[in-house]
Amino acid sequence: MDEAQRLRWLDALREVLGGSSFWTPEDLAPGVNAAVARLGLRTRIWLVDHEQIALRALSEPGRPPAEPLPVDGSLPGRVFARVESAPAGSEGRRRWWVPMVDSTDRIGVLEYGAAAGVDIGDPEFVRQCELLAGLVGHLVASLGERGDGIDRARRTRPMSPASELLWRLLPPLTSSTRRVAISAILQPCYEVGGDGFDYALDGATASLLILDAVGRGLRAGLACAVALAAIRAVRHAGGDVHHQARAADAALVEQFTDTRFATAVLAELDLETGRLRYVNAGHPAPLLLRHGKLVRELGAGRRMPLGIEDPAVEVAEEVLEPEDRLLLYTDGVTEARTAGGDRFGVARLVDLTEQHEGAGLPAPETLRRLAHAVVDHQAGPPVDDATLMLVQWSTPAALKTVPHAGPNGGEDHPAS
Amino acid sequence: MTQQMLTVTTRHVAARVAVLAAAGELDHDSRAVLADAAEAALHGGHDRLVIDLTELGFCDSGGLALFVDLHRRTTAGTGQVHLAGLQPPVAVVLHAANLDRILPLHPTVEEAVRAATPTG
Repeated sequence: MDEAQRLRWLDALREVLGGSSFWTPEDLAPGVNAAVARLGLRTRIWLVDHEQIALRALSEPGRPPAEPLPVDGSLPGRVFARVESAPAGSEGRRRWWVPMVDSTDRIGVLEYGAAAGVDIGDPEFVRQCELLAGLVGHLVASLGERGDGIDRARRTRPMSPASELLWRLLPPLTSSTRRVAISAILQPCYEVGGDGFDYALDGATASLLILDAVGRGLRAGLACAVALAAIRAVRHAGGDVHHQARAADAALVEQFTDTRFATAVLAELDLETGRLRYVNAGHPAPLLLRHGKLVRELGAGRRMPLGIEDPAVEVAEEVLEPEDRLLLYTDGVTEARTAGGDRFGVARLVDLTEQHEGAGLPAPETLRRLAHAVVDHQAGPPVDDATLMLVQWSTPAALKTVPHAGPNGGEDHPAS
Repeated sequence: MTQQMLTVTTRHVAARVAVLAAAGELDHDSRAVLADAAEAALHGGHDRLVIDLTELGFCDSGGLALFVDLHRRTTAGTGQVHLAGLQPPVAVVLHAANLDRILPLHPTVEEAVRAATPTG
């Protein structure tokens, strides 16, 4: 790539960033295409739906709509799943599929079609495409806060009020730093009950939370929201996991006259030393995985569920080793049953995690497959929320969540 | 349909003491059956409740919340709630939520009634 071409790429990025100040979600696709036209490129923005089953094209005026693409069993789906760029295979179709992330949160893929003169086999071309896709990913996330158009494209059906409440409260599904990858998934995404999760990455500390409020629908969602907000308030003020739990107790008792409680695990991981401090409020014990095997269930730090005052103060400690995985889950995962009564169970959860990690999948993809396995395990529609959070204390694992060229990417391009 | 998931039979065994025998499955949908029976007992002056779970095969968090609710309401006065005859599927759920720390558990209804009966 020569200097003139590099400058044209820089101009395109500048035009997207500069132009986006006044954009609504509907302006994104045409705006990006206007900026890359002089590079001889045309893009299509594909967003993953909330259930993470298919990629759906963001509609663009004057362009025929495109059919959704399945995540399982399509090339673009593989690009999304592995966060790995790939050229389209067939001759004559000058095309690249590039993962689109908001930092490290998977949003979808950006499809690039190139005019005849563009050297699409140049590794630097792919890197520029990934850079622009990263900017578009940030814009998808920020424009989604501004209008409904982004979310409309990501939905396959209406959301319940409880889901509307909860999704606005949750952090991105995946966040990585050089030292850690944190990813979570929550199903059924359109009809959430009382499950929720939270995390915060600050310097060398990762704060973690998974919770499951009693009840169904908005009733449970409200209890979850109150507990989550109370915990955040104390965390922001510097309070530890014990005080966070006590604040949730007080808030739940104060806000509701009937008994509302939430089971939860609150934890704090020191990313320098691997020291984990946690309390378990009547929740399934987190699983500690090492070299793909279950080392132990972290069964200490027990207190009663949030919302039931428990004077017992017992913050448990564990020291993680580099490359350890911590898997937190709600009972909707392990209690999922087939028509014949067969529980999904911890053993199956560990086996599948080991299998997907062994295949080198990034954390969000391991969780996507686990969550779908839980749904598929059940005969009918899920009876309970199923939430999973995977924490990988590992730099190689973190790097897998960052867009990169695939094994054949950029070098031996087939359509030369 | 949900009404048939759970049946509750009430016996008044002593002054202030009622045994509520719950049979079937206790969950978010069926808990009203037990809640109503407990309400009737409390209203009739029986503020020491023994909940017989011998025939209860399933309990979810909605059931647990009801136990805690009844515990709170009765102990706010001079009442009590005792759980008796827990079967493994119910015991597992209750222990997992650490609720054995506030709810008194008894192997048999007889022992629960003895503990619940006012002395002197």
